[in-house]
Amino acid sequence: MSGFTDRVDAALADPILKIAVERTAGTAEAKRAIAIDAFPDFEAARTRAAAIKDHVIAHLGAYLEQFEASAIASGAQVHWAQTADEACRIVIDICKAAGARTVARSKSMLGEEIGLPHALEEAGIVRVETDLAEHIIQLADERPSHIIWPAMHKTREQVSALFRAKHANPHEEETIAAMAQSARRELRGAMLGADVGISGANFLIADSGAVCTVTNEGNAELSLVPPRVHIVTAGIEKIVPSMPHAIHMLRMLARSATGAALTQYTTFYTGPKRVGDRDGPEQMHIVLVDNGRTKMREEGLAEMLRCIRCGACMNHCVVFRQIGGHAYGGTYPGPMGAVLTPALDGLAPNRDLAHACTLNGKCQEVCPVKIPLPTLLKGWREKSWHEGLEPTSMRWGLGVWAWFARRPALYRLGTALAIRAMRLIGRTGWIASLPLASGWTKHRDLPKPAARSFMAQYQQEQRK
Amino acid sequence: MSARNAILARLKGPVPVAAEAAALLDGPERPAVDAAALESEFLARLALPSVNASHDRIASLADLPAAITRYLTDQQEPLTLCCPPDPRLAACDWSAFTLHADAAADEGATLAIARRGIAETGSLIFETSPIAPMLPNFLTLHHIVLLAIRDISPHLEDAPLPGPQPRAHYWITGVSGTTDIEGTYVRGAHGPRFLHVILLQE
Repeated sequence: MSGFTDRVDAALADPILKIAVERTAGTAEAKRAIAIDAFPDFEAARTRAAAIKDHVIAHLGAYLEQFEASAIASGAQVHWAQTADEACRIVIDICKAAGARTVARSKSMLGEEIGLPHALEEAGIVRVETDLAEHIIQLADERPSHIIWPAMHKTREQVSALFRAKHANPHEEETIAAMAQSARRELRGAMLGADVGISGANFLIADSGAVCTVTNEGNAELSLVPPRVHIVTAGIEKIVPSMPHAIHMLRMLARSATGAALTQYTTFYTGPKRVGDRDGPEQMHIVLVDNGRTKMREEGLAEMLRCIRCGACMNHCVVFRQIGGHAYGGTYPGPMGAVLTPALDGLAPNRDLAHACTLNGKCQEVCPVKIPLPTLLKGWREKSWHEGLEPTSMRWGLGVWAWFARRPALYRLGTALAIRAMRLIGRTGWIASLPLASGWTKHRDLPKPAARSFMAQYQQEQRK
Repeated sequence: MSARNAILARLKGPVPVAAEAAALLDGPERPAVDAAALESEFLARLALPSVNASHDRIASLADLPAAITRYLTDQQEPLTLCCPPDPRLAACDWSAFTLHADAAADEGATLAIARRGIAETGSLIFETSPIAPMLPNFLTLHHIVLLAIRDISPHLEDAPLPGPQPRAHYWITGVSGTTDIEGTYVRGAHGPRFLHVILLQE
């Protein structure tokens, strides 16, 4: 048993998790479908979005240098980090130099990826998560289970109990609106009192040095405008050449993520507060983070760098919908997580992820930048095989199968015998348990096979 | 080697051709907007559930205080307003109001002037400057925005300012909302719960 299968077993045994995931992912799927129907050119727009990202990835070094020069010209300070630890160290050093005791954080998956919440805690800096879902999981001391809805795994009943236990002035009415108001009361003061605001970036604009954030709550702006210092941590793949390129990507992002034409708040920050400005930070720092991205680009995963973190792939994934996000074990869940996690955290402990996929292709179909996720997952399966990471039973089983497959007559004889045996076991129409296949039959029944194999029936037809 | 040089060394490649980047923008796919009916297109988007804004119309800037009075009275709010130090507003008669420039933590109503409106999405476009602070627009419960009808443009590509950028260029397309609890939409998550656009005809 691996960590992954243990986590999946726990997830499948949790009846509340399934309800919680279904409520949000189901709504997201339906809303996206309506938005795409209303945008007839969406297919062509996906092709363009993929081309924009491919262009950037092919010229990533040059665009990063251009971004750096533009950002510096606007008064921002640019830092570079090869690893997660290095990125955290840079952020902590900036906080310490600013004498910061409290930071307000606007939800960023890159921040989660590099372990920034933990690093801030270790440095003794108070962290206020300002996105409502991040606030929920901070109170619950959990990790995000979805990249757009980090608290997707929680039902309203669980959130209510949490707020009642932790909020100073919790909701009286048992409604979601009242719970959101309770969080608003709790967070407003904390946001305004922070010394540093930390955000990620949805896009980095190369020709202006601007950093784009999108939110529906407006928590990014409330976290980043009042403090003295604004720190951005961004993956190096977030670059786009110019504003019009960003605009195309924004049209794709909102529709794919939530089914809206645009997020409620879309902000482009360029440098610190200007002379005479009535608000804004005195310093702006941008930390450009590699953390395995250059390696992905070199080692056949360049297409994964197209990802704009919309979450559509997981909302439409039959596996994610059953097990939720925590079972994946990494920062990123679902299909995109199953591709990214082995690249970020190593293949050996994560080889199961590529197998937890039916290859139904739905993720690729809904991806706004056309990432061939099933192909990339198959790539990890092959790599795992070549590196000898597959378990003995799998290697032995596939070896036996390959031996038979190279001997068609014997193979057909074997399948004919297997069909007879399975029809005997499955007299009621379903097979509830099968030797050597308990991994399958433990959670579902197999249908009784047809009387004869496809090949046998085909040959009979040909003879007519 | 510094982290910067180490990363860039691994990303060595051809310098991007500007024409290639520009060609990626030829004939962009985007929602159709009737350029001859920008006002009604804009208002249709403003009324969508996702934007959820109300609107009013005034003939001249002098009518602005009366329009705000109408709105705040309807909302049963006092005539207290966080108002940007924009010289264009000095011509109005604000005698019925209690005005202030800096927003309180629990600000009730804030006025802002949008530089542009975008018909494609119903977005309001703003920039920070000494006469246009940003924070009041996010702290307030009621966000009241003045927009000249002649400043409505078809598409998001019309939003950015050319040349050097201000500290913040931002698009507001609705009220502060969240779907973080079970995907259920709630308005007034952190910032404004109400967005009211006053269209100036002159």
